[in-house]
Amino acid sequence: MTPPLRFQPADFEPISAGPPTAAPSRPSLSYWQDSWRRLRRNRRAFVSLAIVAALGVFAVAGPWIWPRDPAAQDVDQISQAPALPPTAAIVDPYTPWAGVTAEPPADGPRWEPASAGPSVTNLRLAEPATTQAVRLVWDGVEGAAGYVVYRSVYDPAPDRALGLPLGDTVGAARVSYEDRLDVEERRYWYSVVVLGEDSTERDAYATLVVEPVRAVSAEEAELRGWVADASRISPGDTIALPYHPLGTDYLGRDLLARLMHGARVSLFIGVVAPLLYVLAGIVVGSAAGFIGGRVDQLLMRFADFVVALPFLLFMILFKVAFGIGPGESGILPMLVALVLLSWPAAARLVRGQILQVRQEAYVAASRLLGAKTGYLVFRHMIPQTMGVILVTLTFAVPSAIFTEAFLSFIGMGVAPPTPSWGSMANEGIRTMLSHPHELLFPAFAISIAVLAFNLLGDGLRDALDVRMRGRE
Amino acid sequence: MDAQPAPRRDPVTRAAVRQLLVLGAVCVAVFAGLMAALAWASSITGGGSAVHRAIDFETRTITLVLEDEPPQLDSTRSTDAISFRILGHVMEGLIRYDASNDLVPGVAERWEIRPEGATFWLREDARWSDGRPVTAHDFVFAWRKVVDPANASEYAFILYPVRHAEAINTRTLPVEQLGVRAVSPRVLEVEFEGPVAFFDKLVAFGLYFPVREDFYESRGERYGADAVDLLYNGPFAMTRWVHGAHVRLEKNPHYWNRDTVQLNTIDMPYVTSDTTAAVNLFKDGSIASTGLGQEQLEEAMKLRWNLGRYVDGSVFYVDFNFRPERPTSNVHLRRALQLVNDSAELVNKVIALPGYQPGVSMFPGWLTGVEGPFRHEYPPPVVTPDHDKAREHLAIARQELGDIRPLVLLTDDSPIANKQAEYYQNLFQRTLGIEIRLDKQIFKQRLEKMTSGDFDMVAAGWGPDYADPLTYGDLYASWNGNNRGLYENPELDAQVRIAQSSLDPRTRMDAFGEIQRILIEDAVHLPAFERGRLFVQRPELRGVVRRTVGTDPDYTHAWLEETP
Repeated sequence: MTPPLRFQPADFEPISAGPPTAAPSRPSLSYWQDSWRRLRRNRRAFVSLAIVAALGVFAVAGPWIWPRDPAAQDVDQISQAPALPPTAAIVDPYTPWAGVTAEPPADGPRWEPASAGPSVTNLRLAEPATTQAVRLVWDGVEGAAGYVVYRSVYDPAPDRALGLPLGDTVGAARVSYEDRLDVEERRYWYSVVVLGEDSTERDAYATLVVEPVRAVSAEEAELRGWVADASRISPGDTIALPYHPLGTDYLGRDLLARLMHGARVSLFIGVVAPLLYVLAGIVVGSAAGFIGGRVDQLLMRFADFVVALPFLLFMILFKVAFGIGPGESGILPMLVALVLLSWPAAARLVRGQILQVRQEAYVAASRLLGAKTGYLVFRHMIPQTMGVILVTLTFAVPSAIFTEAFLSFIGMGVAPPTPSWGSMANEGIRTMLSHPHELLFPAFAISIAVLAFNLLGDGLRDALDVRMRGRE
Repeated sequence: MDAQPAPRRDPVTRAAVRQLLVLGAVCVAVFAGLMAALAWASSITGGGSAVHRAIDFETRTITLVLEDEPPQLDSTRSTDAISFRILGHVMEGLIRYDASNDLVPGVAERWEIRPEGATFWLREDARWSDGRPVTAHDFVFAWRKVVDPANASEYAFILYPVRHAEAINTRTLPVEQLGVRAVSPRVLEVEFEGPVAFFDKLVAFGLYFPVREDFYESRGERYGADAVDLLYNGPFAMTRWVHGAHVRLEKNPHYWNRDTVQLNTIDMPYVTSDTTAAVNLFKDGSIASTGLGQEQLEEAMKLRWNLGRYVDGSVFYVDFNFRPERPTSNVHLRRALQLVNDSAELVNKVIALPGYQPGVSMFPGWLTGVEGPFRHEYPPPVVTPDHDKAREHLAIARQELGDIRPLVLLTDDSPIANKQAEYYQNLFQRTLGIEIRLDKQIFKQRLEKMTSGDFDMVAAGWGPDYADPLTYGDLYASWNGNNRGLYENPELDAQVRIAQSSLDPRTRMDAFGEIQRILIEDAVHLPAFERGRLFVQRPELRGVVRRTVGTDPDYTHAWLEETP
C-alpha cells in the first residue's frame, strides 16, 4: 500500500537555473552538414560529383582554353584518328597536269574475269608523290583499249587483290594517270592493268609502292590560316598543321572542339529542363498535397492526363507551332516539350511527401500554436521534401541528357553545323567500322555524363535520407 | 578531427564481386538462349526459305538486295531509277539494249525512221504473260496515257517529239490527236512534231513501253500497284511483291526470246539502301552483288575483294531558285557562289569515292559529240576558284539586294548528300560569310519541295534517259517540267529548239556547246560531281550488264558458272 503523498511548501519553490549538467561532447551537426559529410564518405558519389563538376568546366571553360571553331573543316585531315601533331612540307601550288586524269568510257568496262595478256611495264612516278597528287606514268601495250589504275593499302600479291579501281584511261597511248583522291600519308600499292580490245581486263599487272609525303602549297597554307604570310615560307620548308588531339570527323572538324560545344548543348538541356520541370512539379505537387480535397483530385488527374501525352509528337508539334523552319535549331521546342510533359513525376513525389509530412505531430502542433500556411510550407514542408526533390533532380538530369542525345541523333535537335553529343554520335555511326573514334568519343561522353549523374543521384539519396542520419 | 575509417576490403566486397560475376554470366547465358530461340523460331515460321543463298545453281536463282521499294510500276507514270530497273526486266519496248549496249529489236522486228515520222513492224511471237499477242494498239494506248493530262505523268515531256504530244499534255488538244496509230495489229505508225535525231534511243526508254488496254481498264486505279495488277511482256515476270520487303522476278515463259534468258529467278528478299547492311549480307553469302559506300572501302581492300566499277551517268549539281523574290535570282550572288565552289576539293577530299569525277559542266564526260567525246570537242569554260573576285560580285549583290538573308539549301538525307551539303554550308560561310540553312528531306519529299519551289538552292542530280546530250541539254528550257528553279533565258531556249529539231550532228552539238557555255557563264547551277559506282559481285554470276543509259544493272543475259 502506497503511503499518501505529502507536499511540503518547499516543493513549490522554483528551482534555480544552475549550470547545465552535461554539455554536448561533439559539435552539433545540421541536416546539410551531416548530408555533406556522408556524401563525402561515399567515394563513388564523390567521384561522380567531381566528374559532373569537370564536365561543367569542360563545357563552360573548354572552348576558351581550346578556341577551335567546331564548324571549321580541315579537308586535308578528314576522319583522322587521334595522333601526334602533323607537319607538312611546303611545295609549289598545284597546277593541272598535262597527263591524264580519269576518262569515263561511254560504254562501261565489262566486268568479266581477267583473261591472259600482257602487262604494262616500267610503271613509275612522274614526279615525287605528295598528298596533293600522285602522278603515274608507264610504258603502254600496243593494241590496248585502255588501262585501269588500282590502288590498295595492301600488297596485291599473290591473289591479284588490286584494291580500289581509281579510274580508266581510254586508248593505248594514254599512259599516265593522276591520283588526287584522298591521298594520305601512308603506303599505297598502285597497280595498272591493261584493258583488251573487248574492254575486259588482262590478268597481268604492274605494281608500284608509293609513300606520298604530306604537302601543301604556301598559298593554300595562308588561305587556311596556318601561316601568317605565304611569302615568308618557300618550297622545302616544313610547317605544322592544325593539331587535333581527339582526331577529326568526316568533314575534318576538330572532335575536341565539337565535344566541348556539344557539351554546352547537351548539359544545357540536361540541367535547365529538369530544373524547370522539377520546379513546376514542386509548385503543383505541394499545392495539391497541402490544399488536398478537390484541388488535389483535379491537379493529379491533370497530371495523369499529361503523362499520357506522347513526347515525340508534341516536340514535333511545338517545332511547327514555333515556326522553326528547316535548318534552324530545335533546342527551344525540345526544352518546352520537356518542361511541359515531364513535370508530373516530380509533382507526384512532392505531393506524396507533403501528404505524409502534413500528418506529422509537429506540424499539427505548429498549427495549433497558430502557424500560418506560408510558415508551415516553408518551415516544415519544403525542407522535409528537399531530399526527395534533389534526388529527383539528379535522376532527371541524365534522362534529359539522354533525351537530347536521342532527339539529336534522329535529327530533331540541333541544326548543322552546331554539334551536340547526339548528333555527333549519329554522324559517327556511319563510319563506325572504318573510323570508330568518331562514334566512340561522343558515345563515351554521353555514357560518362549519364553515369556520373546517376551515381551522384544515388549517393545523394543515401546522403539526404534522414533515416540514415548519424550512421556511416 | 574525425578519424577516417579504414577502407573496407572485407568479405562483403568479395561477395558483391562474386554476385556480379554470377549475374553477368546469367545475363550472357539468357541472351544467348534468347538468340538461339529466336533463330529457331524464325527457321520454323520461315518454312526453310528464311535462309537465302546468293546463288543456287540447281534452280538457277540469284538473290539480290533492292535499295528501295518502287512507288508503283505503271510504266506510264514511273519516274525513279528503281522502277525503271524492274520495268526493264519485266517489260520490253519496241527497241532494247543488248549486252554490249547496242540497240537491237525488241517487240519491233524492224523499223524505219524518217524525218517526219517512223514505222515499226512488230514481231508475231511477242506475247503478254497471259499468252495473248502484243499489238500496235497496246503502244498507242500506253503513249496516249503518258501524255494524257488526266494521268499527270511527270515524264510526259519525253514523248513530246511525237506529233501533238505537247499540245495534248497542255490540254489544248484531245488525246486522240496524238501522232501515233495502229495501221494494223502489227504495224505502228508514228508522226513527229519535227525531225528527231534519236527516236530509236527514245523508244528504248520505259515511258515508251506498251500497256494493254483491257487489262489496264480491268484493274483501274490498282494497275501497277501489285504483282498481280500488272501484265508483263519482258524476259521476266514479277511473281511476288511484298511491299517494302520482298520482290521476286521469275522467267516469263511467254517471252519471245526466252531461249536466251538463262536465269530462272531473281529474288530480292531484302529492301535496304544502307550499303553497310548490304555489304554484310554479301559477306554472309546471302546476296550475289552489292554496291559499296565510302565506309566499306577499307574493308573491301582488307578482304581482298575484286571490285567492279562503272559510270552510272548521273550528274549532280546545286540548282538555284530563279523566282524573283529569291536572293538566288541575282546573278552576282550566283557568280560569287560559283567562284568559291571547288568541285575537285569536294570530290577528292570530302566524298573520296573512286569513280566520282569533279563536276565541271552539265554535260558529263561520257557523252559522245560529233565523233569523239563531247567534252573533248566542246571543252566547258573553266571556272577557277577566285575568292577576291567572288567577294567583288558579292559586294555588287549586296548593293542590289540589301542584306542577304540566310539561304536555304534543300538536300537529300543520304550520307553523301549530307557531306556535300555540310561542306557547302561551311564553304560559303567561311569564304563569303553567307549563312546556309540545311533542309534535309527524304528523296520523295525533296522532289516535292523542288517542284513547289520551296528552296533557295537544292542539291540535285540528273540521270540520263537516253544516250543523247539533249537528255541534259533541255533541262533548263523554260517549258521543261524539271526546270524546278524556273530559269528562263530566250537565248538558251533558242539553242534547245535547234538541238531538238535539227538532224545535223554538227549543228546539234554546236547548240549543246552553246547551252553549256550559257549555263556556266550565267551561273545557272554549280556542278558538283559525276557519279561513278563501285560494286562487288560473286564470281559465279556472269554476264551482268552495268549501264550508263538504260536498265542498270541488267540481268537479262546473265548466267551462272561454277568457278573451278
